[in-house]
Amino acid sequence: MGQFGRYYFNWDILRDTLPELLKAVVVVVELLVFGLFFAFILGLLISLMRISRVRIIRWLAAIYVDFFRGLPLLLLLTFIYYGLALVGLQTGLRFLILPPIPAAVVALSLCYAAYSAEIFRAGIESIHRGQMEAARSLGMTYGQAMRFVILPQAIKIVIPPLTNELIAMIKDTALASVITTPEILFRAREIMGVRANPTPLTAAAIIYLVFTIPLIRVAARLEKKKGSPGTPAGM
Amino acid sequence: MRRVMIQLEQVHKHFGQLKVLNGIDLEVTKGEVIVIIGPSGSGKSTMLRCVNGLEPIQKGRIIIEGDDITDPKTDQNKIRQRIGMVFQSFNLFPHRTVLDNVTLAPIKVQGKKKAEAKQIGEELLVRVGLADKAKDYPDQLSGGQQQRVAIARALAMQPDMMLFDEVTSALDPELVAEVLNVMKDLALGGMTMLVVTHEMGFAREVGTRLMFMDEGVIVEEGDPRKMIADPQEERTKKFLGMVL
Repeated sequence: MGQFGRYYFNWDILRDTLPELLKAVVVVVELLVFGLFFAFILGLLISLMRISRVRIIRWLAAIYVDFFRGLPLLLLLTFIYYGLALVGLQTGLRFLILPPIPAAVVALSLCYAAYSAEIFRAGIESIHRGQMEAARSLGMTYGQAMRFVILPQAIKIVIPPLTNELIAMIKDTALASVITTPEILFRAREIMGVRANPTPLTAAAIIYLVFTIPLIRVAARLEKKKGSPGTPAGM
Repeated sequence: MRRVMIQLEQVHKHFGQLKVLNGIDLEVTKGEVIVIIGPSGSGKSTMLRCVNGLEPIQKGRIIIEGDDITDPKTDQNKIRQRIGMVFQSFNLFPHRTVLDNVTLAPIKVQGKKKAEAKQIGEELLVRVGLADKAKDYPDQLSGGQQQRVAIARALAMQPDMMLFDEVTSALDPELVAEVLNVMKDLALGGMTMLVVTHEMGFAREVGTRLMFMDEGVIVEEGDPRKMIADPQEERTKKFLGMVL
């Protein structure tokens, strides 16, 4: 290993760094839990708007999706953290000044809501039209039919692509380091600076991979076995 | 007493340029079993779907037991509870068990207690001969069994009338009879039925009126046995010649 080991796999530094970074994992989990929660709620809402019979509502949803899919997440993070705060400081509108973690959650949610909306829409549209008709013919309202018949089936179909979203979001939390969120990459860079050695980056990579690789395997497996959407779980 | 269940007055329906229904007049009284035949594209399935508002119409009126469903003030969901419908492709809910398929709407729409809905559901499954399948999922059943569940599901809402849209067309020949038998029982029990089908035997046995549709109009109607034996219109003769 020699030189390479000393710089990138420095055992002493690795040993010191890992416990520090594990604390940062808590921050990442926080970002993921809140980010996914809001992204899925908002995404579901937008997907339902996207298939609305009212044209204006469909358009609004389409504009949202295009806007946030077309925007770099890094720009969004920077705007929500620095851009809003700058105006907040100058105008005294203090609610515009967000701490790093809430700012990151807002940016991640807005961006991932757009992606999830497309996934949910594809899921809903993949359910045969006859399901909606059968539900309506039994006297269910559109909302009841969605809730009890269409969405439970659509959810099963969208689990594999949503798992991929989760993987992408885990990696994208690293972007929050630019707005001083004390997440894994941010802490790794701090320690790298103090120790003048890049081994903390190796430690960060190990932690990310520990989370992402199992999920990548799970996603691949789910995708492979998504045969008939009608098969109930556990069969 | 003669009670009018379904009334269609000059119903017109078109999909863009394509005219599907060209002025349909129809009156169905309680207990009638109306069998509708006709070539594909004649508008018979569309007419059925218009009756419970699954398809909007462009002109005319559809009145269900005195309620005009084409009136925007009418709550179509309420009316649909009184009209059972069975589809060619069954459309059972694949994520729910057979019994749950039958009890879902009574619980969610009518607000029935779970226990009560379950009891009614189980009775209906006995009636269609599937009591032992209550806990199965739809995809574990044969087509004929699925269609019988679909009939039970529609009956669970205790509808005043039933619509059958080519319900045996997707079935293997040996499974057709089990579905038709359930329908015959219903007909003999006094259910008001509108049946789109090619099963002439069913029309002869339990139909109270036979109706031949072509190009969006009712070409000929009458007593099923008489009409099958001696059709008056040229188009009816030609069609019956092909299906019999």
